[in-house]
Amino acid sequence: MPWWCCRKEINVTGIQTHPLYRLANPGSIVFFGGSNNIGAMGTNILMSLLAMGFEGQVFPVHPKEKIVQGLTAYTSVLDLPITPDLAVMVLPTVLVNPTLEHCGQKGIRNAVVVSGGFKEVGGQGPVLEKQMVEICRRHGITLIGPNCLGVANPHHKLNTTFLPFEGKPGFIGMASQSGSFLTQMFNTMARHHIGFSTAFSVGNSACIDIVDCLDYLGSCPHTKVITLYIEGLVRGRAFVETARAIARQKPIVAIYVGGSATGRKAGSSHTGAMAGPDRLYDGIFRQAGIIRVQSITELLDFAWVLGSLPAPRGRGVVIQTHSGGPGAVAADAVGRAGLELPDLSAKTLEALKPFVPHTGSVANPVDLTFSKNPLDFFDPIPKVLLEDENTAMLMVYFLTPLPVIRRALAMMGVAADRIESEADQMVTQQAQAFGRVFEQAGKPVVGYNWRSTEERFSQVLMESGVPLFGDPQRAARALGALVRYHQWRG
Amino acid sequence: MNHEPEKPTPASIVSEALSRGQNALSEFEAKRLLATYGVPVTREQLAHDAGQAVAIARQMGGPVALKACGAGVLHKTEAGLVRLNLATDAQVAKAHEELVAATGSRLDGILVQEMVAGFREVVAGMVRDAQFGPCVMLGYGGVFTEALDDAVMRMAPVNETDVAQMIEELRCKAIFGPWRGQAPAEITALTAVLTGLSRIGLEEGHVAEIDVNPLIITASGSIVAVDALVVLQKGN
Repeated sequence: MPWWCCRKEINVTGIQTHPLYRLANPGSIVFFGGSNNIGAMGTNILMSLLAMGFEGQVFPVHPKEKIVQGLTAYTSVLDLPITPDLAVMVLPTVLVNPTLEHCGQKGIRNAVVVSGGFKEVGGQGPVLEKQMVEICRRHGITLIGPNCLGVANPHHKLNTTFLPFEGKPGFIGMASQSGSFLTQMFNTMARHHIGFSTAFSVGNSACIDIVDCLDYLGSCPHTKVITLYIEGLVRGRAFVETARAIARQKPIVAIYVGGSATGRKAGSSHTGAMAGPDRLYDGIFRQAGIIRVQSITELLDFAWVLGSLPAPRGRGVVIQTHSGGPGAVAADAVGRAGLELPDLSAKTLEALKPFVPHTGSVANPVDLTFSKNPLDFFDPIPKVLLEDENTAMLMVYFLTPLPVIRRALAMMGVAADRIESEADQMVTQQAQAFGRVFEQAGKPVVGYNWRSTEERFSQVLMESGVPLFGDPQRAARALGALVRYHQWRG
Repeated sequence: MNHEPEKPTPASIVSEALSRGQNALSEFEAKRLLATYGVPVTREQLAHDAGQAVAIARQMGGPVALKACGAGVLHKTEAGLVRLNLATDAQVAKAHEELVAATGSRLDGILVQEMVAGFREVVAGMVRDAQFGPCVMLGYGGVFTEALDDAVMRMAPVNETDVAQMIEELRCKAIFGPWRGQAPAEITALTAVLTGLSRIGLEEGHVAEIDVNPLIITASGSIVAVDALVVLQKGN
């Protein structure tokens, strides 16, 4: 086999013809509304963009400043030496349409309009938005917004949102009717070693709406799972058709938060009385193959598992623990998530014997109490459990308390100034050992505990790709969603 | 004995009702509309006097139900406009007189309907949503419909798989299986109800909303629409 066959490189040629491709992967950007005043929203967004190390040219346009954030500024878009791929606008409302018109004249074909004051407010807002659509139509501009935070595409080092990007590019796509769930998720995602592939904040959806973004993410090769935050849909039927076509290839997870955006007339029938938007969205999501979640935490939990773990061959979860209560709680959660706790095969029981002390239990949950050798817990015990034909999935409780390791090292006579680094090294090795088992598992494996995600052990574990949850219920529900998705997909 | 009316077309049922200024179909009209879309409905005929009612009841055999019938007659049970389990000529005649006296000129007639036995009552319906268009509903029916609030929805059109999943999502899904000595519900018939409602939603723009409640699952598992409400709209 030639060497390049095993490269994990992604083929992006297919998506380059998508109408949103250039907007999400611009070669150059003209930026309106950035200055040297840190109190301005535009300045903050420009700084987020620059901090990410966007590799193309950025042209700030400012009426007075000559230099903005270290870049040469221009007084008008018409003066730019080239025609940038994308315009980002963080301008006072009244300036947006005239500026957009200039962009159109310059030949710019993609725009992110962060500015508000349009359809979402009364008065002239809706009129201005209509004019905006007309300008886009006339110049063939693909516009996202207004009243949005635009796009974060860390694979392209693009971030038009308020907060600086943290972490690394990932596999989670997002199309959101709230910009907050792009920009304000960077931190938690970074801590869990997951990241966005591409994320869109659609704002008022004057031109591009959530259906278009969903369509893009469906064909985006970096995106392994799509997350949606929905407050209400306008193109309902197009949404269902688009989602249905994608969901067979790529899982879609969505949160819908109430509202009566459906605009249905209240009727005189039982059906009319009972057909509230929540029930309607529930049914429509199922029809489209979309997995509905109850919270933002769950949105990311499910995306993590659905986007990174293999398809389970069954509903059986084996729980590995060394503490009774945490194992019992996990077992309860597994049942509630519609999953099963299979018995281990005779072969597995035999293989476990050398590792399990007389106080341990080889029923499921497999409660090892104190392993004969603490390192066995990370490898090979999970390997033995994964080899069991009844194990479709493995759930592991991780208790790696640094204070205990430190005091043990102290007792062993390790010098005080070396304890920290030795303890660090120990937990790193443990997490890496498990990480290798995880990588070879071929079956879904998740972890849970109630410790800080900042701890070294957790960080290394998650860096290895192991989804680690702050509660077994979250882990079990995510596995339940994984099973249901693959069952539905067939 | 009154004779069967000419087989109506769905469009004529709706348009004639609209031309008479009705904002809903009578139960009799609603059932005829549903039947043309493949929804299994009760055997029933309109009677215009007590003698006719008795004759229809005799022809049907077995106990019958009498219901006041007209576009303006809503919430029949609450208004006391339903008489059930009438087994003799005298009972039928008496019920007829009572219902006429209670309703007067609002009537199209008195509906003489077969009694359908079965304690499993579900609700099926159709509504229109501004974004998703016609949508159908299936849920636990009868008098506790709203109290138990157990229902699921789908956007039209629906197919067999959708209906199977809808049942699976209901808390009361067990009643669709074998239940207390009664046969499992005929899923093909239930599918016909929901696909029928879904087609009405897609094809009959003047139908705003439909309720089929109760839709009874009989002891043998067959499905029968026992009561129905079809709300009309002028536009479209």
